[in-house]
Amino acid sequence: MTQAAFNSFLVALLLVPAVTFILRRWKKARVIPSSLLLLSLITGLFVAGISFWSGKHLAVDLSQWTPFPFALSIDRLSAFFLFLICVVAVPVTLFSSSYIERHYAGARRDWLWSLLPLFLMSMVLVVTASSAFAFLFGWELMTLFSAGLIVVDGDSQERRHNIFIYLLMMHAGAAAVVAAFLLFVPQAPALDFAQMRTSIALMPQSFRTAVFLLAFTGFGTKAGIIPLHLWLPKAHPIAPTPVSALMSAVMLKTAIYGFVRFGFDFLGPGPAWWGYLVLVAGGFSGVLGILYAIGEHDLKRLLAYSSVENIGIIYLALGTGLVFQANHAPIWATLALLAGLLHCLNHAIFKGLLFLGAGAISDSAHTLDLEELGGLLKRMRITGTAFLIACCSIAGLPLLNGFVSEWLLFRSFLAASGLTTLTGATMLPLAAGVLALVGGLAAACFAKVYGVAFLGRPRSDEAETACEVPRPMQIGMVLLAAACVVIGVAPGLVLAPLSATVQEFLPGAAMPQEAASLSAVIPWIALSVAVLVLAIASVRRIKRLTPTWACGLPALNSRMQYTATAFSKPLRQVFSRAYKPNRTVEVLPADQPYFPASISYRSVRTTSFEKSLYQPAIDAVVITAHRLRRLQTGNMQVYLLYIFAALIALLMFMRWS
Amino acid sequence: MTIAINVVQVLMLVLMAPLVRGVIARIKARIQNRRGASVLRPYSDLAKLFHKEDLVPPSASFVFRLAPVVMFAVTVVAAAFIPVLRSSALLGIRGDFFILVYVLALGRFFLLLGAMDGGSSFGGMGASREVLVSTLAETPLLLALMSLAMVAHTASIEKMVLWTTGQDFFELSAVHALAFAAMALVAIAETGRIPVDNPTTHLELTMIHEAMVLEYSGPSLALIEWAGAIKLTVIMALLVGLFLPWGMAATFSLPAVAIALVLWLVKLGGMALALALVESSVAKLRMYLVPDFLGVASALAILAVVFTALMR
Repeated sequence: MTQAAFNSFLVALLLVPAVTFILRRWKKARVIPSSLLLLSLITGLFVAGISFWSGKHLAVDLSQWTPFPFALSIDRLSAFFLFLICVVAVPVTLFSSSYIERHYAGARRDWLWSLLPLFLMSMVLVVTASSAFAFLFGWELMTLFSAGLIVVDGDSQERRHNIFIYLLMMHAGAAAVVAAFLLFVPQAPALDFAQMRTSIALMPQSFRTAVFLLAFTGFGTKAGIIPLHLWLPKAHPIAPTPVSALMSAVMLKTAIYGFVRFGFDFLGPGPAWWGYLVLVAGGFSGVLGILYAIGEHDLKRLLAYSSVENIGIIYLALGTGLVFQANHAPIWATLALLAGLLHCLNHAIFKGLLFLGAGAISDSAHTLDLEELGGLLKRMRITGTAFLIACCSIAGLPLLNGFVSEWLLFRSFLAASGLTTLTGATMLPLAAGVLALVGGLAAACFAKVYGVAFLGRPRSDEAETACEVPRPMQIGMVLLAAACVVIGVAPGLVLAPLSATVQEFLPGAAMPQEAASLSAVIPWIALSVAVLVLAIASVRRIKRLTPTWACGLPALNSRMQYTATAFSKPLRQVFSRAYKPNRTVEVLPADQPYFPASISYRSVRTTSFEKSLYQPAIDAVVITAHRLRRLQTGNMQVYLLYIFAALIALLMFMRWS
Repeated sequence: MTIAINVVQVLMLVLMAPLVRGVIARIKARIQNRRGASVLRPYSDLAKLFHKEDLVPPSASFVFRLAPVVMFAVTVVAAAFIPVLRSSALLGIRGDFFILVYVLALGRFFLLLGAMDGGSSFGGMGASREVLVSTLAETPLLLALMSLAMVAHTASIEKMVLWTTGQDFFELSAVHALAFAAMALVAIAETGRIPVDNPTTHLELTMIHEAMVLEYSGPSLALIEWAGAIKLTVIMALLVGLFLPWGMAATFSLPAVAIALVLWLVKLGGMALALALVESSVAKLRMYLVPDFLGVASALAILAVVFTALMR
């Protein structure tokens, strides 16, 4: 039954582009592609849900029709990530059914409806693949389809440049992933996942370390850990909003899936430094990601940087898990993995919601510049309330889902004080300080976002005349907001099957008691807060509308409000080392500094990674290319000489090896 | 019986909170050679504010009036984490300090939003400054609590208090001294006292918390003021519970509970005196020196954690 449903889910995803193409001229059939996609995703959600909660394994083997072994199988880990994809994709599709119709027409609309299901399909392939070829096939398609979806929104010079960087880094990452798979060939020539798992015992330690490092860089590039994050704030903001939502919420998680498969499932326990490497990378990404986010006032770029931060939190959890595993503490490793995997789901939900909210804002206020927004909550009550829930979740506040995973991570840091190694017992508890800082900065960042965009007075005419978005877009956001609350108040619903998931691939794992203790206390807190809030709010407070006193001026206007830039100024000042801004102030005319006619101020922030890490590498490549050009003389005789020399070299190599 | 005492504890913290503020203000006045207002003054202030009307800017949304309510509700819930008379609390056994810290953060988040909903410059200014202080205070607070939890091998506040009760005061480790120092600095920053913030100022150059709540009036302001007082009392009671818990009632007998109450009041009074002394003898810091102040707290907290790990 579920098997048949899964098969039809895959087929339906492939059918959507065909249906879109066939019906493209028939105006009345506009709803058919979106409805079909929605239907298939709901099927997928059920399939994933059933096999995640019940632990039922599914498998599809297409190897007899394909030239290489192409098999899919769903164990609990795959089911969890499939669930994650569908749980975000359903509301996003609902949202898009209205958003795409409003903003795209003709061929661009058809392209979106054709590429969107294929993009989803490729992600489904990645998380369900059980052979290396199927995995890599999906992995490459995922990059290409997402790049295609970005191109639909236009291909100006700047966008092309950004897409180029995206494709370049993705392929560099994919090369590392391919290499990680190829290192398994001596032991498991078919590169079947089950075979790879069993053959790991035969693999020498140096190979295992190499596999780990390749997987770390390969998947790290896709996940966007700093300093491999460069593409992320370039590619995510320029995609059509529903695609940005899917890229940030779901696509990054496929990299986490891959890393968990390699790091925990295939490789098994390794040396502790693997864990510390991941931990440090996570800490850096977390702190720097959210600092860059605070400095942004373009909403989508801000959200992209905040994805870097959340990936950092997930890597902190995975690193902690690896350290525990190396120290033979499987139950604590379960706790850390629960934190990491649950944060994947949580981040998918609230980041999807935030991107959809950004779409709703750009739909009704026609801008995503925070400095042009303001007062949207009064004009868009449903969107505003859903966005508020997402902001509270991402800030890690209790009673919402973000808190649950951060709490689990805090508790696994605390559990580390019981480790026997001194490094573990100091490093991990201190990492709690890093997580606390990240949490505090995230709260600051999203207080800024919400306070500036949705509260106060409108800062532009567009924001003033904004109105609520159509019903399907609202429903999409409300569904995700509801998911935030459900997981936040009843974390046990997800934690129980999730710890069963971890037990499937982590030997010795068991449900940690911390997970149960949170489920026991959170509902009580939720109940008491709800009762208190309702009780106090029901006491009638006499209310009088009156304009704010403007210190004697006629009236306050929106220019007197604090801006997003002003709000983040103290934090940017304190953490100025992370920003390294390049400021220029120009006062005109120059001979009258105290009585200027105009002052212009520019502050440009180039991230130091581009300057000090990537630029030298690019320069080196270019210089080497220039040097190599000398080989290409264009003279036929010289080329013949090359061939002859190569032949001699090969013969000599064959002779002596 | 346990539940009854636990409920009484929460009510005590909630109802006595304005008194704590009144006492601190009175001691400060005495140190400054003034007579000072009655210690019951905060109660009459609250009563007056509750009878007034809420003035709401026309541009404000529902968040403006929701924020004080949420702030008050979560602060009361936070009070349910703190053991006072006995080493138990309503939410104490499973409620660990991470939840306590983040429950308080929820209230602050809403107050930030409420401040920005007023639509004037002051709200944003106050929110922006408050966010700086609270962000930097979070790390030392959690790390200091972490070191105590590592020593006591538990994260539950109740069990941490119980563990300290079982120790000899003179045998407490250096970790406790470091953690106490870090937490005292954080407590000053979190509750907006001098030298980080001045609760009595209304000068735009210096105010942090007051700028945030400038647009609030009437019952909403009363809720914020009351919640602020509860938060101060909760943090003081947490410090007492974690570092000076001796004298808490071990049994349910009336004398034991009475002695615990008297001792607790004396300890709280001592902390109020200390706070008033600090506030009267130190000048407020320039805002960009606050990170240094909290940096010291972070360094102390990091040392506390490292020492705990080394001492095992």
